[in-house]
Parts: sequence; C-alpha cells; structure tokens
Amino acid sequence: MPEQSDLELLVQNVVDYAIFMLDPRGHIVSWNAGAERIKGWTAGEIVGRHFSALYPPADVAAGKPARELEVAVAEGRLEDEGWRVRKDGTRFWANVIITALRDDQGRLRGFGKVTRDLTERRAVERALDERGRLLAHLVHAQEMERRRIAWDVHDDTIQSMVAVGMRLQLLATRLTGEHQAAVTRLNDTVDAAVGRLRNLTFRLHPPGIDSTGLVEGLTRYLDQVVSGDGLTYELTHDLAAEPPPETSITIFRICQEALTNVRKHARARAVTVRLASAEQGVHVWVNDDGHGFEHAGENDPEPGHFGLIEMRERAEIAGGWCAVRGNPGEGATVEFWVPAVSRGEP
Amino acid sequence: MSDPVTVLVADDEPLIREVLAEVLEAEPGLTVVAVAADAGEAAELAELHRPAVAVLDVRMPGGGAWAAREIRRRSPATRVVAFSAYGDSASVDEMRQAGVTTYLLKGLPNTAIVAAVRRAATG
Repeated sequence: MPEQSDLELLVQNVVDYAIFMLDPRGHIVSWNAGAERIKGWTAGEIVGRHFSALYPPADVAAGKPARELEVAVAEGRLEDEGWRVRKDGTRFWANVIITALRDDQGRLRGFGKVTRDLTERRAVERALDERGRLLAHLVHAQEMERRRIAWDVHDDTIQSMVAVGMRLQLLATRLTGEHQAAVTRLNDTVDAAVGRLRNLTFRLHPPGIDSTGLVEGLTRYLDQVVSGDGLTYELTHDLAAEPPPETSITIFRICQEALTNVRKHARARAVTVRLASAEQGVHVWVNDDGHGFEHAGENDPEPGHFGLIEMRERAEIAGGWCAVRGNPGEGATVEFWVPAVSRGEP
Repeated sequence: MSDPVTVLVADDEPLIREVLAEVLEAEPGLTVVAVAADAGEAAELAELHRPAVAVLDVRMPGGGAWAAREIRRRSPATRVVAFSAYGDSASVDEMRQAGVTTYLLKGLPNTAIVAAVRRAATG
C-alpha cells in the first residue's frame, strides 16, 4: 500500500472544510471527511456523480454549476456564497471556492473545491445586523396592516353588505313575479360577495396568528381550518424556545400557505406538521398523504403554482430556504428552514 | 291565537339592527318590543320588557357576552341568541360560556334567522 503524503492526510482528515476534486467536466473524483460531515454523502455514494447534485434544483435549472466552472476556467478561481443541498435534501449556506487545476503544460486537469458551512454564522450575523432589524420591522408592519384591513373589511364592509342583503330579502317577500326574481338575484350576488370578503379577511388575518406562542397559534389554526375540511392533522415539535416574533410570523405564514395548498389541491386525508430547532433556526416540514405532484420527480413544480413563490420568498427574505417535493401518489412535502436568533432587545 | 313572541334586538350597527327588527317584525307571531345599540342598553331594556328572546350582537360596545349574562340575571326567562359577524371558536366559546345556546352568523338567510328565533322561544 503506497504511503500517503502528509498533505493527503491533512486533506482527507479535515472535518471543518469539504475539500474534494472534480474532473474537467465536473464529476466528483475525491471526497474528504469534511465533505461527508457537511454534505452527508459518503465517498462511495457521491464519487463519480456530477457536482451539480450539490446545488438546489432551481440553481441547476438556471445553469449555475456549469457557469461556475466556466468562470474558474477563465479566471483561475471562483468564490461564491449561496445555498447548497445536503444528501437529506436540507440546505446549508456555503462559502465555496473553486480552483482550476492545471498541469505543467497548462492543461486543465480538473478543479479543486473547498466548501465551508456558514449556516449558523450567517443566521447569527443576519439577526444582529441592520438587515435583520429591518426584516423584523417589515414583518411586524405588514402583519399590523393586514390585521387593520381585515378588521375594517369585517366590521364595516361586510356588515353593511349583510344589512343590504337582509333588506333585499325582505323586499323580495313584498314583490311578485319578475321583480321578486330580480331582487332575489341581487341578494344572491351580495351574498356571494360577502362570502368572498370573508375568505379574504380569513386569509389576511387567520385564526391563531395573534396567539402568544407559535405552536399554540398553529394548533388553533389547524383546529379550525384543517379539521373543518375532514382532514386529520398531527403537529409535533422540539422547539427549545419560542422563536422571535418575526420568525414565528414567517413560519406561521408559510405553514398557512402550505396548508391552503393541501386543502385545495392535494386530496389528502392527513397532514403532519413538524417543527424542529436546527442550526440556529427552525426547520419545518408540512407533509400530506395526497396525490403528490402530477409531474414525477419534479422538486419544484410549475413556477408560480401552489403559492410556491410566496412560500419561497418569505423563507428567503427571512434568510432561509424553502423546498417542495412530491411524486404522484406519494403525497407532498413542503420543507423550509428559517433562522431564529433573538436580537436580545425588546 | 297565542300571544306573539316578544323579541329584543341589540346591535351597534344601525343598518343591521334596523333591518333585523324589520325582518322579525314582518313575521306573523313575532313582535319586536325593544331595540338597543349597546350592551348596557340591551340589559336595561331586557329587564324592562322581559322579552321571550334577545338577539345580541357579539362585538357591540360593552360586549355581547356581558349583555347575555346580565339579561339572564335580570330577566331569567329570556332566551339569548347571538348574532355575530365572527364565527371563530373563541367568539363562539365566549358566548357559550355566557349561557348562549344559539349562535347565528351574520349573512345567514332571513328565513334561517327567523326560524332560530322561533326555536329559541319554544326551546
């Protein structure tokens, strides 16, 4: 057995950095202990695969892995920060350096790739910086505005329209023939509009969102919304502490969107919601037993569909990520992570 | 012919209380004996008129739940019906705890409101 050089030993055993090599076309040819620790795959599972497996599906679709190699070839190296995917589908915030490796004649032999997991550091930094403070204000202000609009619509517009409807019904009883039919139709129109406005206020300010705790709020919402549709639900969590208010709102709103999709599209009988503390944040799964997505294997179904954009935007604005997956007949899962670091101030 | 069922209507929204009173008044066998705009007025008028049924808004000033308790105290024979724009479980529970057994959501057809008031009177 050939003796390994000291340098090889170092590379193989470093656990804080993923250090591995790609061939000139981007296939993984080596894998160290740090890569296994950070990304979850063993060398046996990943060597030989194209390194685009390490990127989120949307980045692969946008051609990001190939572009990064092109830049590394042209400029010698490339540095990037962004989300990368682990074996289990979760994501981590990575600092990545790709270096083009050339032999003595200048021929491209492949690439060296060094990756660090900055998820927790980024979560803490984001919570403490100006951006984190602005985000908290923004989330709070948006919720206040939504609540005010919901109350205005509820207490003023809907009440007035209900009174109009009642009067139209009364009027209809005093009319005959075509006049009665016309007024009855008018009442039906008002009635339908009231129903739509009620749905609007419900979405703007769902039950439970003002609860003091995230788990209690989600339970109230599930009790009222999901149970009402003949679905059963299970909510489990191992949250060490109540997340900051803006994080709780973000989690609640993404769950609300995910549950709306389940109710509208999934034809499911049961839904499970799981919350776990992870990497200075909260990791959430909303899983149903419905019919999944129509196109097999698509991690991100039709753009714009299923409120996916809204969920992803909310997670990303908060400094996190959101992924959706589901094969036909296997149900669907919305999975997301958002940082949850208290700023230590009221 | 039996005596008409007497009804008290209480709602802080004038459009609603006026039309609700008219709807009930237009029904044979029902008569609206009092109309109130808040919880305090509802309790006072209930004590004065001893209606068979009181139809109370849940979110009027003074609170529908408070009015329901006061009416049950001051006029124990009066049956209380809640008439609310809010159907959330917290609002419904609050009224139930105040002794209200019938909870109507605003937006129900007039015929359903009338039927509920008649049922409350006989129940």
